[in-house]
Amino acid sequence: MKVMKPFARGVGAILLGVVLASPSWAGRAGDVLESEAVPSDMAALSLLLDVEKAGSRLVAVGVRGHIVYSDDDGKTWAQAKVPVQVLLTGLSFADAQNGWAVGHGAVILRTRDGGLTWEKVFDGNKANSDVIEAARRLVTELEEKVANASDAERGDLEYQLEEATFAAEDAEADSEAGATKPLLDVWFRNANEGYVVGAYGLYFGTKDGGESWQYLAPTLPNPDHFHLNAINALADGTMFIVGEAGQIFRSVDQGATWSKMESPYEGSLFGVNGTGIPGQVLAFGLRGNAFRSEDNGVSWVEVAKEITETLMSGTVGDAGRLVLVGNSGMLLVSSNGGQTFGAHPREDRMSLTGALFLSADRLLLVGEGGVSVIRGIAQLN
Amino acid sequence: MTNKLHDHGDHFLATPKAEPFLERLIFNNRALIILIFVALTGFLGYNASQIKPDASFERLIPLKHEFIQNMLANRDDLENLGNYINIAVAAKDGDIFSEDYMETLKQITDEVIFLRGVDRAEVKSLWTPNIRWVEVTEEGFQGGTVIPDGYDGSEDSLKLLRENILRSGDGRRLVADNFQSSIVYAPLLEIDPETGKALDYRAFSEELETKIRQKFMGQNPNISIHIVGFAKKVGDLIEGIKSVALFALVTLVLALVLLFLYSRCIAGTLIPIISSFIAVIWQLGLLRLLGFGLDPYSVLVPFLVFAIGISHGVQIVNQAGAEAAKGYDSLTASRLAFRALYVPGMLALLSDAIGFLTLLFIEIDVIRGLAIAASIGVAVIIVTNLVLHPVILSYTGISKSGRKHAQNLEEKVDKKWVWMSYFSHPSVAPISVLIAIVGTGLGIYYKQDLKIGDLNPGAPELRPDSRYNTDNNFIISNYSTSSDIMVIMVKTEPEKCSTYPILRAIDRLQWRLENTPGVQSTGSLVTVSKLVTKALNEGNLKWFELSPSQQVINSSIQRAPSGLVNTTCSMTPVVAYLEDHKAETLKKVVEAIQTFAADYQNESFQFLLAAGNAGVDAATNEVIDKANNQMLIFVYAVVSIMCFITFRSIRAVICIIVPLALTSVLCEALMAQLGIGIKVETLPVIALGVGIGVDYGIYIYTKFEKVLLEGKSLQDAYYETLRSTGRAVAFTGLTLGIGVFTWIFSPIQFQANMGLLLFFMFIWNMVGALWLLPALARFLLRPEIMVAKAKAAEAALASGQS
Repeated sequence: MKVMKPFARGVGAILLGVVLASPSWAGRAGDVLESEAVPSDMAALSLLLDVEKAGSRLVAVGVRGHIVYSDDDGKTWAQAKVPVQVLLTGLSFADAQNGWAVGHGAVILRTRDGGLTWEKVFDGNKANSDVIEAARRLVTELEEKVANASDAERGDLEYQLEEATFAAEDAEADSEAGATKPLLDVWFRNANEGYVVGAYGLYFGTKDGGESWQYLAPTLPNPDHFHLNAINALADGTMFIVGEAGQIFRSVDQGATWSKMESPYEGSLFGVNGTGIPGQVLAFGLRGNAFRSEDNGVSWVEVAKEITETLMSGTVGDAGRLVLVGNSGMLLVSSNGGQTFGAHPREDRMSLTGALFLSADRLLLVGEGGVSVIRGIAQLN
Repeated sequence: MTNKLHDHGDHFLATPKAEPFLERLIFNNRALIILIFVALTGFLGYNASQIKPDASFERLIPLKHEFIQNMLANRDDLENLGNYINIAVAAKDGDIFSEDYMETLKQITDEVIFLRGVDRAEVKSLWTPNIRWVEVTEEGFQGGTVIPDGYDGSEDSLKLLRENILRSGDGRRLVADNFQSSIVYAPLLEIDPETGKALDYRAFSEELETKIRQKFMGQNPNISIHIVGFAKKVGDLIEGIKSVALFALVTLVLALVLLFLYSRCIAGTLIPIISSFIAVIWQLGLLRLLGFGLDPYSVLVPFLVFAIGISHGVQIVNQAGAEAAKGYDSLTASRLAFRALYVPGMLALLSDAIGFLTLLFIEIDVIRGLAIAASIGVAVIIVTNLVLHPVILSYTGISKSGRKHAQNLEEKVDKKWVWMSYFSHPSVAPISVLIAIVGTGLGIYYKQDLKIGDLNPGAPELRPDSRYNTDNNFIISNYSTSSDIMVIMVKTEPEKCSTYPILRAIDRLQWRLENTPGVQSTGSLVTVSKLVTKALNEGNLKWFELSPSQQVINSSIQRAPSGLVNTTCSMTPVVAYLEDHKAETLKKVVEAIQTFAADYQNESFQFLLAAGNAGVDAATNEVIDKANNQMLIFVYAVVSIMCFITFRSIRAVICIIVPLALTSVLCEALMAQLGIGIKVETLPVIALGVGIGVDYGIYIYTKFEKVLLEGKSLQDAYYETLRSTGRAVAFTGLTLGIGVFTWIFSPIQFQANMGLLLFFMFIWNMVGALWLLPALARFLLRPEIMVAKAKAAEAALASGQS
C-alpha cells in the first residue's frame, strides 16, 4: 500500500536514509536529557501540552522539562523538580501518587509522590538499543527460517529477510544521530502496567511500574513505521492507538495483540477518546476531522464539521458532555456524547493541546499560552 | 609662594607687562585691526555659508565602546534588522474589511514599493504576494496569498480575506489586534544600488509625507496614516532643526531690546550685537575649515556663542559708559574699559573654553563636536569681544543719552542695590549660608532619582506629543510589536552557526532572557527551527522542539530569513524585544546576557553584545555613566585652578565655586524631578553651565576685591560692586538665559531639555553669584588683613623699585 505520505514522514524518511556527514551528536544531545529543568515563574504560562489529575492535584507538562502542579483547582501553580529539559508531550497517572510523563529524546519520567518530584526511567539512547536489538533478532530469526524453508516459501522469506536487514541497518544509522525521536503519548492502566507511543512507530510497554520497558512495536501491524500520536483505552478496557496517515489500531486483549482497523480517513489522527457511552469512541485529527464509532472502533462515521482547525485532544465530563480542543484556540463542545459539536474558538487563538473538566461548569485548558481556566462551559452547546 | 602684585589686587594672566603691551598694540593700530577683522570675517563668512548639515548616526554613538565595535564589525551581516519603516493605515470607522479601505491600502502599497530607497522585493502588506497563508492538508501544504483569488471587494471575498488573515502568521502580524488598521512594512536600503549614494533621510521622509500621508489621507477621508521607523525619525529631526532659524531671530530681537534698555545708546546696542555676530560667523567658518558639519546638537552652539558674546560685550559697554560719564573721550574710555576688563574677561572666557573641553572625555562624537564647536566659539569671542568691540567703541563712543544714563546710575542711590548689599551683612549672611546648606541637602536628596539614559517610550529625541511619537504610540498600542530591540551576535567558527550545540546554547539564552524582567520576547534561528519543525509535522505542537538531529535542523532552517545567518555561517543573531529602553531595563538585560555568556561560551563560540537600538543605548549609557563623574570633577578642578591662578587665594576660589556647586546640585535634582535622564544631550549641560556660570563670580569678585582694597567696609564694597558690575552681571544672566530659553519651544525634545536646563543653570548661577558669594565673603574674607597685605605689598614694591 502506498499511502500519500504527509511531509513529516517524507522528511523523516529522507533524513534517515542519509549517512550522517558529521560525527555523532549523541553525546552532546545528552545535555537536555541530563540537566534539570530550570525553575521559572513563567513555567505555567509557557507552552504546556498535556494535563492530568493526580487525586485532587492537577499536573501539566510542557516545554523545557516544565512540569507544573496545582493544589487549588488551577488557581496557583508550582513547578516540580524534573531531571530533563526536553519538551514533554504526554502524561498519565495511575493513581494519586504514581504518574508517568513522556517527551522528546524518548524520555520517560516517573513520579511516586503525586507529581512533585520526577525521575528519569528511560530515554532515547535506551530506545535506540532496544530498536536495534529487536531488528537484529528479527534478522536472525528470518535467517534461520530461510535456512530451513521449503523452496516454495523461500522467495517470500528472503524478501522479508532483505527488508529486515535494511531495517536493522536503518536502526543503527538512526541511533548514530542520538536520541532524536520523541515519544508522543503515554497511558497507564494501573500502577504497574503502562504503554508509551511515539514518532516513527515507537511503542514500549512496562509491567513493573516503569522499572523495565519492552519494545512492543513488532506487536503492532505498522510496517511503515508511521508516527503513533496517541494511546488511550475505553472504560471496558479496549485499547486504541491512532497515528499518522489515518492509522487506527485496536487491542481487545489488554494490549497482547493489536489489529489495524479500517480507517475512515487518510490524514493524521492526533487523539482518540471514549465519549462516556459504552462502546462509543471518537478519533480526531488534522483539519478538524473527527470520526465517531458506536461499535468499538469497527465502523466510523464522520462527525459533521464546519471547522478546519486541527484537533489535538479531548476530555469527557458528566452527562454526555465532551470537549475537543485544537489549534488556533479551537474548542468544540458536545452535550450529547459526541453526536454533534458546537465550535467556540477562544478569542486569543492560541493553540490548545489539552483539557480537563474541573467541575460541570469549569474547564482547564493547556496549550501555547500555558494554563487557563474557563467558566460557563455548561452553557455552551 | 604669593605674588606681591596679586596681593595688591593687580591680577594678570601671563606677565604683568603683557597687558599694557597688548593694550598699546591694539589701540595704536586700530585701523589695521579693523581691516584684519573685515578680511577674516569675509573669508570665514564664506566658509560658514558652506557648512553642511551632518546628522550621521555614527556621530551619536560611542564608537569605541565594545558593544558598538562588535556591532560595526558585524554590520554587513546585520543590515536589515533595524532600518525599516512601518506605515499603519487605519480605518476611522469600522474595520479594515471594506472595499474602500482595501483599495486605498492597495494604492498605498504600490506607492511605497516605488519610493526611492525602499527594498522593493521585501515590502510586506496584505497586498504583497509574499504574505501568504499556509495550511496543512492530507496531501501536504496548501496555501495562497491572503488576498483571495478573484478578489472583487464583495462581501464574500472580504470574508474570505478575513479567514486567510486568521490562518496566516505573517498576515496576522500585519493587522492590528482590533482589525481596525494594517501595516505596510518597508525595509530600506542604506545605499541605493543604482546610484551608489547613501539614503537621503530628509528627502525620503518628505516623500513619505507628500506621496503617502498627505496624498492618501486627502484622497480617502476615512483613513488615517501613521508612520514610524528610524528614517522617519531622522527626517523629522532634520525638519525640526529648521525652526532654529526662527529662534535665532527671536533671540536677536530680544538681545537688541535688552541691550538698548540697558545702555540707552545705539552704539552700545549695536556693537555688542555686531561683535557677537562676527564671533558666530568665525566660529561656523572655523568649524567648517576643521572639517565639521552642523548636527542637531552643535547647531545650538552659535546661540551660546552669541549669548556669551553679548554678555561680555555688555561688560565693556558698561565700563566704557561709566568712564565716559566721568568725562573721558571715546578712545580713552575704551582703553580704560579694556584695561579693567581684560583680565576678568580673559579669565572667564578661558574658563569657559577649558570647561567645554572637558567634554572631550566623552567618547561620543557629537559631544566632542559640541565641545570643539563651543571652545572655538569662546576662543573667538576673546578676539572679537575683547579686542574688536573696544576698538569699534573707541571710534563711535557712547552716545550722549548713554553717558547720561550711566551718569544717572552713578549718582543715583538705587534702593535695590542698597537692599541687595545686605546679603553681605553679618546677620543676613548666616541665613543665606544656612539656606544654601539646606538647598544643597534637598538637592542631594532629590537627585537620588536621577537616572542615566532615556526614561520615556518612543523617540525621546522628539516631543512626546509630536506626530512621530503619536504615531509610535498608535502602533505600540495596536500591534504586538516592540520598537526596542537588543541584538546579541553569536559568533562561531565558519559553517558552524547552525550546529546543534550552538543552537542549544542559544535556546537556553533565549529562555534566560525571556525570564528577565523587561524582555517581551526573543527570536533567533532556534525560533525558526522550532516553528518550521512543528509546521513540517502537520502543525502539531508536540514537535515544537529543537531537534538534536542536524539533518532535521538543516531542513528546518533552509528558508530562514536571510538576516539570521551570514554568508559564511559564522554569525547568527539573537534578537530580544524589550518593553522599553529605560536604563534599568537595559542594564538588567545586559547583565543577564553577560552572566549567561560567561557560563556558556567557549573558544568555538561567543555571545557578543550588542546591536539594535537598545544595544546602542546600553553602550551609550555605560559611557555616559562613567564619563559623568569624571567630567564633573574635571570641570570643577579646571575652573578652581583658573580662579586660583588669577586670585592666588583659596578663599576667593571658595567664594566663586560654592555657588556654582549649589546650582549644579539643584540642576541635577531638577532633572531627576522632571524625569530628564543624563544622556547625550543633557550631559554637556552642567559642563556648559559651570563653564559659563563661573564668569559671574569672576567679574563680581574682581570688582569686590578692588573696592575692598580701597578700604571700604564689606557691605559698602559690595554695594559698590553691585551697582556697577552686579548690574552688568544681572543683565548678563538674563541675556544668556534668554539666549537659551527660546530652545524650550523647539519641536526637538532634547533641544528643549537643553534649553530648560541651561536656562536654569544660567539664571541660578547669576543668583548664586549675587546672593551667596557676598554671604560667603562675610565668613571668608578678612578685609583688614587684605588691606594690610596690599599696603605691605605696595611698600615692598615701592622699595623694590627704588
